[in-house]
Amino acid sequence: MLRVCGLSQRYPNGKLALADFELTVEAGELVIVLGGNGSGKSTLLRCITRTLKPSAGQVWLGGTDLCALEGEKLRRARLELAMIWQHASLVRRRSVLTNVATGALGRHSTFRTAFGRLPVSELQEARGHLADVGLADLAEQRAGTLSGGQAQRVAIARALAQRPRVLLADEPVASLDPEAAEEIMRLLQRLARSRIAVLCVLHQVELAYAFADRVIGIRAGRMAFNLPRDQVSRDAVHRLYINEAA
Amino acid sequence: MSLGIARPGLERPIGSGAWGRGVAIAIRCALTLLALGIVIQMFIVVEARPQDLVTGVHGMADIIRRALPPDFSKLSSAAWPTLQTLDIALFGTLVGIIIAVPLALLAAANVTPSRYAYYAARAVIGLTRSVPDLVWALLFVTAVGLGPFPGGLALGVHSVGMLGRLFAETIEQMDMAPIHALELTGARRIQVFSHGIIPTVLPTLLGISLYRMDENIRSSLVLGFVGAGGIGFQLLTAMNLFQYQEVSLLLIIIFVIVLTAERISAALRERLA
Repeated sequence: MLRVCGLSQRYPNGKLALADFELTVEAGELVIVLGGNGSGKSTLLRCITRTLKPSAGQVWLGGTDLCALEGEKLRRARLELAMIWQHASLVRRRSVLTNVATGALGRHSTFRTAFGRLPVSELQEARGHLADVGLADLAEQRAGTLSGGQAQRVAIARALAQRPRVLLADEPVASLDPEAAEEIMRLLQRLARSRIAVLCVLHQVELAYAFADRVIGIRAGRMAFNLPRDQVSRDAVHRLYINEAA
Repeated sequence: MSLGIARPGLERPIGSGAWGRGVAIAIRCALTLLALGIVIQMFIVVEARPQDLVTGVHGMADIIRRALPPDFSKLSSAAWPTLQTLDIALFGTLVGIIIAVPLALLAAANVTPSRYAYYAARAVIGLTRSVPDLVWALLFVTAVGLGPFPGGLALGVHSVGMLGRLFAETIEQMDMAPIHALELTGARRIQVFSHGIIPTVLPTLLGISLYRMDENIRSSLVLGFVGAGGIGFQLLTAMNLFQYQEVSLLLIIIFVIVLTAERISAALRERLA
């Protein structure tokens, strides 16, 4: 579903943030990326979403190489790639329901949605996504009034409104308490089981052991390991952080 | 008192010892003399003569005496110019908002589509803001003649500058995370604008616009003095004809308008906050 081939990113200051990176995430799989600060995890996600143009390599979404596309073609191809962040990034003054439905904007013509309106069908579908994340009763509430965990679940519902084939998550539980963090991880796992390919960057090693199908270790922009969860040793994970600190 | 602040590269803290204290006292004296000099030159430049105010106060008292009681029989004839004044302000504010919103989007560094558009928009905002509304009114009077229309145009153009700058600053200071999130969903530029940027900044923009409306009401009173119609023009005419009782009535109306507009604007802005 998502295939990254030989992805490299060198910043203008000469720093190699990502070196010849390879990974595959299949539909139905939850892959968790672990690594220390500055190891290249976020750069990897930014290159996949093409908010950063990689220095080399390809990002295959189904049969389309995102790195070969620009402008409108890239926008269309990216519709199947949803992303959630550490902070939910909701429009705080709009309702929860509206925030979720904006995930579908890319599918609709400019004219119909240019004046802040959303199609009724999308609003109905958004209610379904809110029910999926357990927040159907908060649909009319302002997004700015939600707790961190609730806001993150709304962000996931917005991602679902995009009808993605691939979901990327950049430290989605970093600002949540342990209970809310587990809830979000369970949700991501459930989405993976519904045939979405989920690639998630995390700092919480225990959550990776609890929820990942596969764990990828990243160190200094290079892949340290790429193994099924039960084959990842504590030692290997520990080395990711020890080496970063050294 | 020793300042006692240690600075890197200095062998000892500033203000420690007799030499330091001497320098500090000298600086304070120099600053005091400078402030005194500024105040003295201000009195000279404005030709301030307080004694004239005392000796000539009877002239003022005479005018106030002749202005009382206000001539309430002119109340009905003041209704139309009052409406004109309010509508000049409303027209100017609306024109200002309509032009300032797209201009602000070009002039906000975080959302502008190009560097050239940014500089062009900033130049337009700077020009419309730096030329006073009175000058714009005189220019428009020569173009479209006397009446409320040039007043409305003048306030509109001047408001473009004031609103454009404040709108652009509001957009520049907004949280960009929801905007980037919307962009990544595949939303088009106009959709990101209408579903992300506008809902985020709208309350602030409305607050600024209400404040501008309040300012424009006061400005439209003054614009009447240069032939832009409204209650200001009627006030000037009454003064020229020595109709001081009418002048006092008009001043009461102006006071009520300004105060009411201020209160309504403040109340609405509080609700939007």
